[in-house]
Amino acid sequence: MTTAPATPRLTVRHLTKRFGTLIANDDVSLSIAAGELHCLLGENGAGKSTFSACLYGLLQPEAGEIAIDGVKVELTSPAKAIASGIGMVHQHFVLVPSFTVLENIVVGTGSGPRLDMTAARSRILELSRQFGLEITPGRLVADLSVGEKQWVEIVKALYLGARLLILDEPTAVLTPQESERLFAIIQQLKASGIAVILISHKMNEVMRSDRVSVLRKGRLVGTVTTKDVTRDDLTMMMVGRPVAQVHARSKPGAGETALSFKGVSLAKGGRTHLKNVTLDLAAGEIIGIAGVAGNGQDELLEAVAGLVRPDSGNILLRGEDISVLSVHDIARRGAGYVPSDRFRDGLVSDFSIAENLILGQHWDERWRSGPFLDETATRRSAETAIASYSVMASGPDMLCGRLSGGNAQKVILAREFAKARHLLLCNQPTRGVDIGVIEFVHGELLRKREEGCAILLVSEELEDIFALSDRIAVMFRGEILGVFPRDEADITRIGPLMAGHAHGAAA
Amino acid sequence: MIERLGFRIEPRSETTAKGRALAVGVALAASLVLCALLFLAVGVSPFAAFQSLAQGAFGTWRAATETLVKATPLIFTGLATAIAFRARLWNIGAEGQVFAGAMFAYWCQSALAGNSAWIQLPVIVLGAMVGGGLYAGLAAILKTRFRVDEVISTVMLNYIIVFALSLLLLKGPWSEAGGFFEQTAKVDPGSILPILFDKTRLHLGFLLALVAAAFVYLMMKKSPVGFEIRAAGSNLRALEVQGTNSRRVILMVMLISGALAGLAGMSEVYGVHYRLKAGAITSYGYTGIIVAILGLLNPWGVVIAAILFGALVNGATFMQIKTGVPSALIYAIEAILLLFYLAGWAASSFKLKRIKP
Repeated sequence: MTTAPATPRLTVRHLTKRFGTLIANDDVSLSIAAGELHCLLGENGAGKSTFSACLYGLLQPEAGEIAIDGVKVELTSPAKAIASGIGMVHQHFVLVPSFTVLENIVVGTGSGPRLDMTAARSRILELSRQFGLEITPGRLVADLSVGEKQWVEIVKALYLGARLLILDEPTAVLTPQESERLFAIIQQLKASGIAVILISHKMNEVMRSDRVSVLRKGRLVGTVTTKDVTRDDLTMMMVGRPVAQVHARSKPGAGETALSFKGVSLAKGGRTHLKNVTLDLAAGEIIGIAGVAGNGQDELLEAVAGLVRPDSGNILLRGEDISVLSVHDIARRGAGYVPSDRFRDGLVSDFSIAENLILGQHWDERWRSGPFLDETATRRSAETAIASYSVMASGPDMLCGRLSGGNAQKVILAREFAKARHLLLCNQPTRGVDIGVIEFVHGELLRKREEGCAILLVSEELEDIFALSDRIAVMFRGEILGVFPRDEADITRIGPLMAGHAHGAAA
Repeated sequence: MIERLGFRIEPRSETTAKGRALAVGVALAASLVLCALLFLAVGVSPFAAFQSLAQGAFGTWRAATETLVKATPLIFTGLATAIAFRARLWNIGAEGQVFAGAMFAYWCQSALAGNSAWIQLPVIVLGAMVGGGLYAGLAAILKTRFRVDEVISTVMLNYIIVFALSLLLLKGPWSEAGGFFEQTAKVDPGSILPILFDKTRLHLGFLLALVAAAFVYLMMKKSPVGFEIRAAGSNLRALEVQGTNSRRVILMVMLISGALAGLAGMSEVYGVHYRLKAGAITSYGYTGIIVAILGLLNPWGVVIAAILFGALVNGATFMQIKTGVPSALIYAIEAILLLFYLAGWAASSFKLKRIKP
């Protein structure tokens, strides 16, 4: 499968896409064979999304040509892309929750006023049998799990006749077990000659592809056959320099208890978010919360930060009950909070870096001179933060809305680390940031730990959890199903718990 | 349809200030053309109409000061709206807050009639701010406690206060003894806002309005309060996550906004009409919304837009006398200006792109 047959499924020649002065794709050429799993790898902003958006007709390249099975195509809209046999599963599903699976798949496919639902149903069942995708056409999409929704998206693309399927970070929302299923499905797709483009950050997934194309700053660094290269080679290609993976760390300090949850429960809108959570976190310790998104991790951190009030139970910060305090008062007691959705919860996009760094502390005397904000002081502190967190920015006055995800995250880290004298709450600190920033964040978290700060870390990236945690707690439906010291935790124990299979695993 | 011509409309990733100014400029020029057509439709030379309009607004010293008199309440209501809109609080209630300010000021002042101006003037200024502020605060509390949308509540409160004033003036304690009109008796001379220049009607209220604009400018740009208002307008959630009580911010914004609107009522009653009646204070709140938007929600922009609107209203009378154009046409012109301006602003966020045929 490593050498392309006579006519490749997809041929892209000299594709260039500009946004103003920024060149998102610069003369990218590659070809993908039928039945090939081809991985697109690159840091954030390297041009992967732009490239796939061009393939799916969402963007129009300024130059270059695209051919499917040797036939040149003009992809001016997604409809044209679909007609050319290109399918795409987006990171955020585009399904109508109140429709059934069947309706979601056939919506928009009819040409006349009537749809032959019976024929559609049997075609869908046939497809799902063929590729091992277990879906039930009659079920409501709202009732499906995240994994099942993804199968529906894939069947939909196949139903529309996709011969080339683009999967944009498909495993970001899946449990390890569901990810395994996905790769089994991909094998089936390959066997029937469908070419698959996989966009992923996760190295273990990338290593399962046939070939990898690495993008850096919009340019194609190279296309390599996966079995000929190592992870480190790929990382090198992607980042352009070697990356240190291992962090030296000291033994967990047997510090005093910094934070404790005592039977904390929270229900909201008829759903249980936290169920009798009891957990102690010591100073200088990192506890990683593993779990599939939406199992109460966000609420756990929000409850500590004071954004939601638990229905019962207490949260103690250094012995003091903070479950009744305001957000402001909790922050003043030395707690920092890095929210998962950084542009929604963490930053004011229309504000400069300097302004965002004092957000929440804008009444503090150190940022004021008389009744006014002391611009000299705020800009000076912003300059320090920009330097010490190596934020790529034009200066303290740059608006945060114009920062990349990684640099925006650094601004939040700078602010929250300064606040976190005793406790740091970190939700998805590495989501959507590139390897260089991930490395930086990991280093900073460990440094903070050395300083004796207790850190509660939530991440969907198990790599974060394993790399950083002293102990790992698994959450499922608001409950902590198990807490493991890191050296006793591995994916075979944690994976089933993340899916709620609790049998005899809690320690 | 436009795609058939080989073009496509795409959103711009960013709009330069220059591009925006150009788009708005073209739109405003287009609106003048449309106004000219309106003048032609009523059989008047547009040139003569515009000329008389300008002459009526700025032609003489007296005309110019009269324009500023007309602009004064609009500066207050424009600032009131601008502050609220900056925080993305859609306070449509400046109209009612103008009434509330005028009424509360009158209520306080009438108890002190006969005292020196040094007592009465501060009382009417403070009274107007308290009255307007509390009335707007009501909408804030409805929003934060009961989740009532501020657009609905402020509009409804506008109706209530207009009828409340009518009630007080018709048969209530404030009706002028022996009078036929819905108005109070003339206010005490010691409460009248001093005239700034002889033989004009320009009063202290105009200076107060400029002071208010300067105050709003400094507050928005430099103070922690302005910081909160701007942050609330961009991302209230982030402000809250960082420990600022969003209810407090909403209440604060509405209090300030209402206080500014209240000053407009005070300034008309004590600076121009010398009595409280609905006709003296009607419509400034609504026009203030247009003024705020045309002024880019910027305090000095509001001052300029208010003077422009003052000029239109003031010049219209002269234009009617001179050319016979009904002065009501001015309201059409105001609306055309706003719509074209908004269209130009919106259009500047898009671009026309040639696509391959």
